[in-house]
Formats: sequence, structure tokens, C-alpha cells
Amino acid sequence: MTTPIGPSHQAFPLTPPGGRYLHSNETPSGPDVRPWALRFATVPDSTGAVAVPACVYDQTQQVSLASDGGLLTCMANTHTPTVPDGDPDNPPPLDEGPKD
Amino acid sequence: MSVPILVIAAADDWPTDRVVAALGARGSEVFRMDTTDFPQQLALAGRIDEEHGWAGELSTDWRTVDLARVGAVYYRAPGPFGISEAMSGPEQQFAAAQARAGLGGVLSALECRWVNHPTAMARAEYKPVQLAAARASGLRIPPTLITNQAEAVRSFAEQVPGPLVSKPVASPIIVEEGLLKTVYTRKLSPSDLADLRGVDATAHLFQAWVEKAYEVRLTVVGERMLAAAVYAGSAAARVDWRSDYGALTYAVTDIPADVAAGVRRMMTRLGLRYGAADFVVDPQGRHWFLEVNPCGQWDWIQGATGLPIAEALADELEGIA
Repeated sequence: MTTPIGPSHQAFPLTPPGGRYLHSNETPSGPDVRPWALRFATVPDSTGAVAVPACVYDQTQQVSLASDGGLLTCMANTHTPTVPDGDPDNPPPLDEGPKD
Repeated sequence: MSVPILVIAAADDWPTDRVVAALGARGSEVFRMDTTDFPQQLALAGRIDEEHGWAGELSTDWRTVDLARVGAVYYRAPGPFGISEAMSGPEQQFAAAQARAGLGGVLSALECRWVNHPTAMARAEYKPVQLAAARASGLRIPPTLITNQAEAVRSFAEQVPGPLVSKPVASPIIVEEGLLKTVYTRKLSPSDLADLRGVDATAHLFQAWVEKAYEVRLTVVGERMLAAAVYAGSAAARVDWRSDYGALTYAVTDIPADVAAGVRRMMTRLGLRYGAADFVVDPQGRHWFLEVNPCGQWDWIQGATGLPIAEALADELEGIA
């Protein structure tokens, strides 16, 4: 298989320092400056938000375990997706959220 | 004797837990690491010479793996390097760059099965690259415009029969005013297009709207196609199903042979062994490719449908066809 070569900073992609999304309390700029697509930015409906349970990483099994000793899922054992609720500390995992 | 499988993922990436558990149940040797552990909790001693390729050890306080024996790597969104905060800012940048090229370089050079190779994954993250690969592979794609020119948007809207949608080219998430906001795919009305100030601020993606009977989340693992039909039960979900998960129902489905063949060609072009692809199925039953996420989520689809995605990933890592 031929592996395409990208720019060096992309050849080994990692989550950026500080997380995937930079926190900010800045307010939006005006319509002449702000990207047009952001007119439709919304705080997601938190109705179905699921709290992530406490867990510990087990170095022996190399997985995170819930308090009952079972595996977690990305949906916190509910099999429903994590719904972002506007809290910057509760971002959607990876591709959950609009098509990214 | 089985060969070790290297898992590179964030420690709190719980879907990866399922893959690790599946491999463990089979008795596979797994070495899981997060790049965040380097250099403070993860040690690297890699060597190469004329006689041998990259060899040596990766080790933590709990286990060690011989790089020369690694048979497969599962790579999924690991964290940033854990550079000491005692360094100055410039020192941290220097150290992180050295870590990326050193650890990242040694790992990237491992000649084994990758799901997915990080370089291929980085390239395939680009929607324009995905659309070009899909088109070249014989998949049906909606007409698409990427531009920073308002006039180009107006012209595209005139040429495309039917409505347009807009969606971010990259991450849809922004944090401002202390809030996490997201930009869902939007079916555009004439009033949306009347004021295009801000299109010139950056790249914007516009696409022809495709009428939907339902959508398909196709999880591709090696040669396996694990397809789930996604049925939207609300107006919002019919435009972007991620905007209203509560209105969705799922069912295992099949995809036509010609679509499967096109997807395999596309995956080969992109150098991917895993991808989460999204299709619209129109009322005539035609499949329209929207995108493929090389790091896409899969656990909730497995939970909703019973599709054995974790097992398929374990098979792929073990080289089981």
C-alpha cells in the first residue's frame, strides 16, 4: 500500500494541547467579519444529554472501568450518543455533532 | 506465536476499550499507550541499522513491547504529548516537535497492519479529498461548491436544481461566550442566501440537497461492510440526523454490490482500513456519498444494531479476513 505523505505536522495527528476546542468567552464579531456559516451556530439541545459516570483506568486490563467493574461506552453505558449541552467541558466525542 | 498489537488512543476513549477487550478475550498481546504518556510515563528506545529495521522497546511501568514484533497498530485520536510544564513555552514547542518526529516517526515507520495509518488518516480527514476519492471510485456524490466568493454561491444556487445545504468543511464546533456551539447541516432558504456577508471570511461548503428516503451509516472495517440504516423521525433529523438523536431509529441493512465495490476502491485510494461513511438513500434507492470519517464513532451504532464492529476491528488487527 502506498501511504500518502502529508505536511509534517499532520503526519502524526494528535489532539491539540488544551483539547480539541479552545475555551473562549469572546463574543461574536459582526456580520461583515464573522464567517457566514456561523450564523447558524447553535447551542445543542441538552434534553438528551447523558452524564458521563465516574470511572478509573485499569492498567492491567488497559480499559476504563465503571464503579460496577464493567466497561464504559462512549455513551456512558446507555447506548445513546453523548449529546453536547453547551458546556465546553462536555464536548461531543469525535464525529458526534454535525458531520465533521 | 501471536504478535503484539499496539493500540494508540486516549486513555478515556471508551470505544477503544471494546476493541482492547475483544482482543484480550482472544488472548492477544496488547500494548495500549497514549501519546500523552510520552515522555514522562512512556519510554522509547528504538534502533535501526543496515541489518534491521526499527527495533527496540516501548515501555511503561506496567509492560513492554518489542517494536520489531508489532503486528498491527490501532490508531485513534491520541492526546497531545505530555511535555513538562516546567519548560518555557519555546522549550515545550521544541520538545513537542521532537516528540512528534521521534516517537511519531518511529511508530509511523512500523511496517505492519494499520487501522488506520496516521498519515493516511490525516489526509483523508479533508472532505474535498474524500469527495474526489469517492467520485474517482465510481460513487455518486452531490454537486458541491467550496468557496469564499458570494457570487460563486449565487451562481451555484442558480445552476443546481433544487435547494442547497451548507455545512462546515472542518470541525463544526466553536466555543464562544463560554458556550459550546455547533453548526449543523442546514437546508438553505432563499432568505439564507439573500445576505452572504461573511462568506468571504473563510472557505464555505455548499452542496445540492438530496431528497432522502433514509440514510446509511456504513462502517467499513477492512473488507467488511457493516451497514446501518438511519431513519429520521423529525424535520431536524431529516436534514442532519446528528441534530436530533432522540428522533432516530436504526436497522441493519445491506448496500448494493456496486456501492460496496466503489467504497472499497475509495478506501484503497485513501489508504484506509477503517472508515465511518455516510450515505443518503434517495426515494429511487440510489446511494449518495456524503463523507467518510477515518476516525468516526461506531460504538453507538453497535449498541443500537448489534453490528459486530468491535469484533471486526479485532479481526482486522489480527489479520483475520
